[in-house]
Amino acid sequence: MIDVRHLTKTYGSFKAVDDFSFRVQPGEVVGLIGPNGAGKTSTLRCIVGIQAPSAGTITVGGHDIVTAPVDAKRLLAFMPDEPQLFEYLTVMEHLRLTARLYRVRDVEARARDLIAELQLTGKEHALPTELSRGMKQKVAIACGLLHDPKALLFDEPLTGLDPLGIRHMKETIVARGRGGAAVIVSSHLLHLVEEICTRIVIIDHGRKVADATLEELKAHPELGAAGSSLEQIFLTATAGEP
Amino acid sequence: MIGAFLYLMGCSFKNRLRRRLQRLREPRYVIGLLVGLLYFYLAFFRRSGRPRVQGDAAAVAAVVGPLQFFGGLFLFSAAVIAWVRPGGRPPLPFTRPEVQFLFTAPVTRRQLVHYTLWRSQIAILIGSVIASLILRPGSLSAGWTLVAGIWVVLMTLRLHLVGVALRRLSLASHGRMGLARQWLPLVVVVGAAGVLAHALIGAWPVLASLKDGQTVLAEVQRLAGQGAAAVVFWPFNALVRLPLAASPAEFVAALPPALILLALNYVWVLRSDAAFEEASAEHAERQAAMRAAPRPPSKGRLAAPFTLAPIGPPETAILWKNLILIGRYVSLRTLVRVLPAVIVLGLVARSGGAGGFGVVLGTLALPLAAMAMLLGPQIARNDLRQDLARLPLLKTWPVRGAALIRGEVLAPAIVVTVVAWLLMLTAAFLGGGLREGSREATLLGANRASWLAAACVLAPAIVLAQVVVQNGLAVLFPAWVAIGAARARGIEATGQRLLMLAGMLVALIVSLLPGVAVAAALAILAYWATGMVLILLPALIVSVVVLAECWLAIEGLGRVLDRTDPGAVEASE
Repeated sequence: MIDVRHLTKTYGSFKAVDDFSFRVQPGEVVGLIGPNGAGKTSTLRCIVGIQAPSAGTITVGGHDIVTAPVDAKRLLAFMPDEPQLFEYLTVMEHLRLTARLYRVRDVEARARDLIAELQLTGKEHALPTELSRGMKQKVAIACGLLHDPKALLFDEPLTGLDPLGIRHMKETIVARGRGGAAVIVSSHLLHLVEEICTRIVIIDHGRKVADATLEELKAHPELGAAGSSLEQIFLTATAGEP
Repeated sequence: MIGAFLYLMGCSFKNRLRRRLQRLREPRYVIGLLVGLLYFYLAFFRRSGRPRVQGDAAAVAAVVGPLQFFGGLFLFSAAVIAWVRPGGRPPLPFTRPEVQFLFTAPVTRRQLVHYTLWRSQIAILIGSVIASLILRPGSLSAGWTLVAGIWVVLMTLRLHLVGVALRRLSLASHGRMGLARQWLPLVVVVGAAGVLAHALIGAWPVLASLKDGQTVLAEVQRLAGQGAAAVVFWPFNALVRLPLAASPAEFVAALPPALILLALNYVWVLRSDAAFEEASAEHAERQAAMRAAPRPPSKGRLAAPFTLAPIGPPETAILWKNLILIGRYVSLRTLVRVLPAVIVLGLVARSGGAGGFGVVLGTLALPLAAMAMLLGPQIARNDLRQDLARLPLLKTWPVRGAALIRGEVLAPAIVVTVVAWLLMLTAAFLGGGLREGSREATLLGANRASWLAAACVLAPAIVLAQVVVQNGLAVLFPAWVAIGAARARGIEATGQRLLMLAGMLVALIVSLLPGVAVAAALAILAYWATGMVLILLPALIVSVVVLAECWLAIEGLGRVLDRTDPGAVEASE
């Protein structure tokens, strides 16, 4: 569903992502982890079409994000770490706007379900200024899920959520993966990645340093020797880089 | 402690200055600075180079009296209004980092007051120098007395306003006890206002009998200078006398009473026991929230303009969104703010001799329609000029750049056009006629409906062209256009804005030229062949050509937007 090939992203002379390739199949939940400045967010922003790759190709459902962006984006949903909402639209109006942009016919029914699922009931007519950060995050996620995307990208999805919200968010991500969507979760919370991801991609200094399931990583002769937890594997995988 | 405060202020000033200088590495800021400097030179300095004509001194002496009166009146009004105006700003505004660092530090309340007074010095000094430059003193000695005089006036005013705000805060927090504590300043203010009201009421029959404004002004000045009114005005006049001093000797003579007033206000502020920290911290939070979302919208205002169908072109969805934006920000309060200006304009127009309120309204509507068409597209910014700040979000939408721009420009274009149409209709139906029997009346009056129709046909094209140009400039030069709520400050920002305005005007003229050329040729041919003056058809041609140009421009801009990296916009903010 998501196919990233030899992705390179440069900012001036700085190479944020360097010849990075990976694939995400339908039903997979891939954890994209790496230290600060490793190139995670640049990768996500290139996949969803916010930024153009400097080199390499990205396809979503067979549509190239550069040459056929509208078709590719129709399959995508991106939930950034900082929810981007229009301060003058209510929750329901955000959903209606999203429905129109993504051609969702049964917006009222779907919106009702998502509002209930994300515990936004009673907040349908609230403006973002009246919502907590966690609530805003949920609104952004509701907008992302409204068109039943085939590829979902979450950037630090648990930021600002309360314990119950965290639990629901994990269930939402896992449910989308089980429902056949290709999911990428970028997070520094390694226990989250360990818990919900079916495969893990580690990136450091823009380059891929590991791409395997947790069990495969544990069985790796060098990485697995560090210990059995993802944290120990991650620290080993990213320690040797310059 | 003062060392820490001075260090904080010094570092803040130095780093702000350094950042501004670093920006000059980029050509856009250098060009903006040069244009800004040229503008300020032409506006303020060039005139000072003119040789002074004889008689200037006499002219200056003639205006000193009224200036002193109005200056004193202004200061008196400011002092009284400070007591009665609705609260909002705290007495001592602090920023969020200041609240975080200073309120939690072992710093006394009095030291915090001193810090804010020290901090305000930079703005007051710069304000004094700029005001002096605008007033153009004739010599160096006149220059420094003017700067020093304005500084004393502004500083005393600042101290007084802080003092009033602290007293009000104390009143609010202590209730009746507060009234007992603050009885003296309240008695002084109410007593002073009463004295002036009494003097004015007593002299009203005389004032009402005077013929012209000049004699009324002279009489009011005379009243203010005698009896109890003179006592009320004394402190304010004592302050104003300082910047108006004609010589250093006069300045020195006026200095002691002004300094005494400054010192009294200073002591008054320091003696306050008002606990301002909570109000200041709340204000800091509000300011920070406003920077994130400058004006909180209200869902209680206008509802969505129409029901958005789930399926349809994305342009309609973006139009719907941007119309909601207007509805959430335009309020009754906005209209109430505009109303006084409209009433004043109406009264001015009426005093010009036009008869009947309807005619006044109609006469006013025509220039207002022209203003709406020319200034409206710059004021109504509910388009990409707002939304480019959210470019990362817009880029995730499955919408082509051209469709996005089309949707974005629709809302301001429609709103401004409708306003212009309403004003045109008002002008056409209520406006005064031309002189009867004149050639213009025959030519134009008979075709009023045609002129109205032509103007209505032209309006959307002219408005849309400007909105497209404004949005185009934002897409092509995001660093030069104010994106979102951010407003760059400084001379270079002024220069950039002037350049953008010039670019907008050039682009508008160029976009009009082809249509106007075709329409003019057709009109001349028709007049030559039939003797008829065509009005509507040429307007229609211009409109169609401009709309076609807009369409093509949007297609081109859409391709640019598709390639635009949000980083380029983010870096410019």
